[in-house]
Amino acid sequence: MTISELQREASHAHIHPPPQGFVSRYVISFDHKVIAVQYFITSGLFFVLAGLLAEMIRAQLMQPHNTLLSAQTFSEAYSVHGSAMVWLVIIPVLTGGFGNLAMPLMIGARDVAFPWLNMFSFWLFPPAGILVFLSFLYGAPQAGWTEYPPVSLHTPGTALWCAGIFLIGVSSTITGINFMVTIIKMRAPGMTWTRMPLFVWATLVTAFLSAIATANLSAALAALFIEKIFHVPFYDPANGGSPVLWQHVFWFYSHPAVYIMILPAFGIVSEVLPTFVRRPIFGYRAIAYSSVAIGLVSFMVWAHHMFTSGLAQWVQLPFMILTMAVGIPTGIKIFSWVATLWRGRIRLSTPLLFVIGFLSCFTFGGITGVMLASVPADIHEHATYFVIAHLHYVLFGGSIFGIFAGLYYWWPKMTGRLLDERLGKIHFWVMFLAFNATFLPMHWLGLLGMQRRVAFYDNQFEGTNLLPMVAHTNVFVSISAFVLGLSMLIFAYNALRSATRGQVAGPNPWGARTLEWMTSSPPPYYNFAEIPLVLHGPYDYGKPLPYANISQDLATEPVD
Amino acid sequence: MNETRSQPLLDTEFWSVTVLLTVISALLMWGVVIFPIDAWLPEASTVSKDIDFIYRFMAFFSVPILVYVNGYIVYFMWRYHVAKGEDRTATGSDIHDHPGLEAAWTIVPSILMLILGVLSYVVLPKYYLASAASVATIEGIGHTFFFEFRYPGLAQPVDNDLHLPVGKQVTIDLTSSEPDIRNAVIHSFWVPEFRVKQDMIPGMIVPIHITPARIGTFRIICTEFCGVGHSDMVGKVVVESQSDFDNWFKSEQHMQSNGATQAPISIAGGDAAAGGQKFAAKCTTCHGTGAFAERKVGPGLGNLFHDPDHPTLVTGKPANADDVADIIEHGFSGDLGTMPNMQVNQLTPKDVANLVAYLESLHK
Amino acid sequence: MATHAISIGDAEYQEVRSHRLLGFLFFLISDTIIFSSFIFSYLYDRSASAVWPPLGIERPGLYLAAVNSIVLFGSGVTMHLAMEAWRHANRSRFAGFMIATIVLGVGFLSGQAYEYTHLHDTWWGSVFGASFFTLTGLHGFHVFIGVIFLITVLLQTRRGVYDQSRYFGLTAATLYWHFVDVIWVALFFLFYVY
Repeated sequence: MTISELQREASHAHIHPPPQGFVSRYVISFDHKVIAVQYFITSGLFFVLAGLLAEMIRAQLMQPHNTLLSAQTFSEAYSVHGSAMVWLVIIPVLTGGFGNLAMPLMIGARDVAFPWLNMFSFWLFPPAGILVFLSFLYGAPQAGWTEYPPVSLHTPGTALWCAGIFLIGVSSTITGINFMVTIIKMRAPGMTWTRMPLFVWATLVTAFLSAIATANLSAALAALFIEKIFHVPFYDPANGGSPVLWQHVFWFYSHPAVYIMILPAFGIVSEVLPTFVRRPIFGYRAIAYSSVAIGLVSFMVWAHHMFTSGLAQWVQLPFMILTMAVGIPTGIKIFSWVATLWRGRIRLSTPLLFVIGFLSCFTFGGITGVMLASVPADIHEHATYFVIAHLHYVLFGGSIFGIFAGLYYWWPKMTGRLLDERLGKIHFWVMFLAFNATFLPMHWLGLLGMQRRVAFYDNQFEGTNLLPMVAHTNVFVSISAFVLGLSMLIFAYNALRSATRGQVAGPNPWGARTLEWMTSSPPPYYNFAEIPLVLHGPYDYGKPLPYANISQDLATEPVD
Repeated sequence: MNETRSQPLLDTEFWSVTVLLTVISALLMWGVVIFPIDAWLPEASTVSKDIDFIYRFMAFFSVPILVYVNGYIVYFMWRYHVAKGEDRTATGSDIHDHPGLEAAWTIVPSILMLILGVLSYVVLPKYYLASAASVATIEGIGHTFFFEFRYPGLAQPVDNDLHLPVGKQVTIDLTSSEPDIRNAVIHSFWVPEFRVKQDMIPGMIVPIHITPARIGTFRIICTEFCGVGHSDMVGKVVVESQSDFDNWFKSEQHMQSNGATQAPISIAGGDAAAGGQKFAAKCTTCHGTGAFAERKVGPGLGNLFHDPDHPTLVTGKPANADDVADIIEHGFSGDLGTMPNMQVNQLTPKDVANLVAYLESLHK
Repeated sequence: MATHAISIGDAEYQEVRSHRLLGFLFFLISDTIIFSSFIFSYLYDRSASAVWPPLGIERPGLYLAAVNSIVLFGSGVTMHLAMEAWRHANRSRFAGFMIATIVLGVGFLSGQAYEYTHLHDTWWGSVFGASFFTLTGLHGFHVFIGVIFLITVLLQTRRGVYDQSRYFGLTAATLYWHFVDVIWVALFFLFYVY
């Protein structure tokens, strides 16, 4: 049986017909695959807006005392840029987008446990984003994505910001609960824990963090909202509140949130690597269990964001040690991925290139992360461009590279057509080089004394001769950032082009072995004609497919 | 299966690459050892050297990790990639894991982290525990948007200008107030050359201990976003010899005790156009040119002198040129907020005169 | 949700029930986190304050709260008895205890309303008031939702939505009600005793 015959057969295999009518199919849809696309499109729009804000920030910093933006507009720009990238782009794309697209397929399920909740959870997201951007009309928040009170209580838009982030938090909690139940209860027969694809492991831990940590964020935001509107004293010291309290409750969420933003990207890397290296992933158990370890330890490290907030020394010590400890399971993952490349049969496709970019950038970001864990070092680096550089190396070099690897990888599954390889490779190289040119110099800027969240900076001060260099570096960084922004146009063109001119993919264009490739592209409404039976783990390249109820032909024909 | 079992798993080529990467690592590590941190960012306090040792330690061991990870990635990609025309469905090695290797890359980083933890733990108390009694305790208070320092023995505070004698430990009690806790926000006190940073939190007093080790002038930077003027919240710390410090202290005492009898700045002949330029550069962070009630940080000054509602100045008097000049010169600190003085704003007496002329010219 | 439960087979019902039960437990855990976050805030403010409650603030009276607590815990007992009656297929006893639970729940809310209107402290007056009114208010809101939940499932049993083997809605309502009880134990201890 050939692939095309199978495709025709699969499309006839609906158990129930999909809903008819535009609204029930594409708008109020219960289908996890449609919801995934809804997340991608919505987040894509917010990505463009937040990216434009980033370019505004860099345009302002081209000159030390630029008059392009006022100090207030500049602060609004970086605050909404940060909030939008974290809550409206990375978290929804990785969990809502890729989690919805791939996870139910990968465990051989027909949908998530609660499709209705899944739909509801998505529809909380666009209003949340609109509220955050609407705050511009009323004076957007200016204190950055962390919104430390009391200063955040002085901007009128903080209330809208709180409401928006609260909604996305509730959405995140619901999705987390939904995904946990789905993964725990709905795996295909025979899929034991250690036969689960690594992306599913990552999604499970992410779902746990989303459900637990985000509930805490909701409480913190509710308190800030109440304080802003009704002047109920929680955080403002003028009324007896404590500004450091906000930092505790905010980071108790936001540190786990860092892993909500990176664990699914780890999962994507663990899927893409074995597919294109065509050998089993090295250290499956180590990678799976280290995700769990990272997830658990992430709840006990929040105060490492607060080493200059006047905490007692005995409080700082355990947070420093535990933060360093997170580096160990992360290192295990990186070394295992590098070892997977060893003695493989490597096909240099675009998804793999993005994974390599991820490995290179994320390793760097991980190392600067350890540098930020050491309290004495952190005291110097805290709230400088060193932190900006570090967080972009893990969130852009890590999460966004992971997201693009996932997009290139699952695009044919989602749309049925391949993206153009040549454009993809150009996109990768421009993005990779521009990314490093943008963020690498920021490490020096920070260490030499450039603080974050400033619209203007020194280029003349009697004491130091380094400031002209700081100014020149900023020009270089800004130009690189513009190139980085433009590189996204290559992807946009490639994506639009694939709709008409993309090569038709077939069910399994990469010759992968996980279950999402064991059905047509895009999959039918009910995913699988028959629920597959799982006999072995998913990464044994060179052996027969480990599934029953699935055609053995699917494993063999990479088209690229 | 493309593996030929007769070949060793790790062949000569692999070991050659490993040796090459080791040599590159060693060279870069040598570079880390000799890197002149002091020349880039002076080690101007006694704790700086300890912290820079931690940096050197971290960079030293980060280099091999970066070199091996990136080096092996590039090498494996080059060596094992499937060339055009080769069988693209072939599969690679079926080795799933290697307990010894995995144990190694768990244990070695753990040991490094442990050493780093101990090093940090040894350096950390130097921030918090005074090794010997400090020669003085200075109060450092963050305002929107300047630093105020109160010396024992000086009746008036000094704004944005911290003088310290070299080689003597001082304690600075940091807090934030506006001038009381209402409207106070978090600031942060950072002197990069001292490698010292501490948030200034309203309602909390956090002492830090500094022993300057190098004579020079350095920046004091606010690193916690505190409002529209955050970017400009930069003061200076002057580290000088004990005799220079004593001279400064005496002259400051002298100036303060004579302050009341000092001749007021002459505001005659102010140039409104020049004042307008100064206003745009120095004042618009906090003041707009709208009506008095249109507050940014401070009130709008658009029709200060010609307001039909006749607002009173913070001095309690209706608007008049002398009092306005006095406020610009000395700044203000009271229930209504704080405003930095002309030294902080880097204004000359001529600028003050021009500014008053400019404000008078508005909305005539 | 339960209306089409009749139309599916027992095995499938058991599967759906296990999903809902697990999902509901995760929901209760995340709800616990919300309460814990506010409780952490309260304890943080308390530890940062030299005197507690802050000067000039009176602690709310213990006696009214104690009576109110007995009312709420009593409703936990009647809820338990109602479920026992359901399991023994005693519908009238079940309905009686459900109504008793609802009445006790409304009684608790009335007691709380009385307490709120007779306190000198306000929500925005102090850090104590902020935590006290936010936490007890959030809990009161949960009790209110619980009462609505109980009324709904009681009416559903009248319409025959549940039968002897398929009654997840009842299970969820019971779990929720006991959860609200347990949260109150913590709040009572924090605000009136500790």
